[in-house]
Amino acid sequence: MEFVSNDTDRASGVMAIQYSCPNCGRRISMVTNPGETQMVSSLGVTIGHEALAEGGAGPMNQIRRSLEGEASWTDDRGLPDPVWTEAAERRLAAAPGFVQGMVRRLYTDWAKRNGYEEVSPAVMSKARDALGMSEM
Amino acid sequence: MQNLPAVDVLGQVVAQRTAVARRLASVRRVVAIAGGKGGVGKSLLTANLAAALATDAARVGVLDADIHGPSAALMLGARGQRPKLGPQGARPAIGVCDVRVMSMDLLLNDDDSAVRWRHYGGLADDTFVWRGTLEANVLREFLADTEWGELEYLLIDMPPGADRFETLLRLLPELSGAAMVTTPSEASLLVVRRAAAAAQQSGARILGLVENMAATSGPGRGRDLADDLGIPFLASVPFDPDLARNTEAGRPGVLIDPRAPGARAILELAHRLKGILA
Repeated sequence: MEFVSNDTDRASGVMAIQYSCPNCGRRISMVTNPGETQMVSSLGVTIGHEALAEGGAGPMNQIRRSLEGEASWTDDRGLPDPVWTEAAERRLAAAPGFVQGMVRRLYTDWAKRNGYEEVSPAVMSKARDALGMSEM
Repeated sequence: MQNLPAVDVLGQVVAQRTAVARRLASVRRVVAIAGGKGGVGKSLLTANLAAALATDAARVGVLDADIHGPSAALMLGARGQRPKLGPQGARPAIGVCDVRVMSMDLLLNDDDSAVRWRHYGGLADDTFVWRGTLEANVLREFLADTEWGELEYLLIDMPPGADRFETLLRLLPELSGAAMVTTPSEASLLVVRRAAAAAQQSGARILGLVENMAATSGPGRGRDLADDLGIPFLASVPFDPDLARNTEAGRPGVLIDPRAPGARAILELAHRLKGILA
């Protein structure tokens, strides 16, 4: 088939592409409208360039492409977690056991976001002030 | 024209189901906390139940399936964290007792941000056509693309609406069961009765009924409803403002004052559920 025309109307979101058979001259059209595109997209499948990407579209693709506004992910690719110093570990150990995992994660994330390679008591204090935490 | 390979839409849909099963293969029990009615305290119960199960050295996760009214992160002290996106999935937030939490709340930019979906062309007035499909797939992604790791229990805090349970069951046929939650009010009993009936008709295993915000004098008509439905009556959790206040501050009440009547009832509920699911 040979490409003949692309009559896409971007304002309405309707796409119409025509092809022609080089032997018999018959023409076919591929037509889609925003509703069809939306329905297929809502199935969580990938079409177009996304489907051809190496390794697929990646995790949480439906949410990433559909949620209006910038979804707040932390990109975890290749960045090591900061190391906790012994003094920081001692300070963490003073917290009630049931919050230690959560607090460790909060401080680790904050330190990582702000470019620290280790979590020390000083970094914990800065994080505490930045995060508005009253204790620890 | 470039020759593009065919895009196998049906194959992708089938693969989505497989991905859910593969991800949850490392989770021993998946339990929905449901009810159909809003405002009965499902989220508060879920948070406290998760904390109660986790204090018993079990690894626990909570999936907040309430996309438009998420509160699990708040109640488990996990707000302020951002899920970490890597090539294999998103690492969930860590709440109290190391409970792993995934919730839409963790993805919204601030407290004034509501969940709004992008759409193609001029479809702003027709969102009802595709919103249900899209949100079912958001739930699927939360299940399949979250790096839950090894868990003993994954609790799913269901949103109001009996239909949501059916959606979950289609995504997750391996669901271990559902705990239904009601309050003693007539309106709640009616709605939860219908939701439980719908869940049973869908083939779900109902683990039992919890009466939340009960009078301190003991169970009300929740027990009668459980008898009518032929399901176990799991617990009567008395109304406890301190438990609610602490939980909404990110410190589930079962951890703060485990001897208070509400906390005690939830701890007994956790013990009972463990027995049923053993």
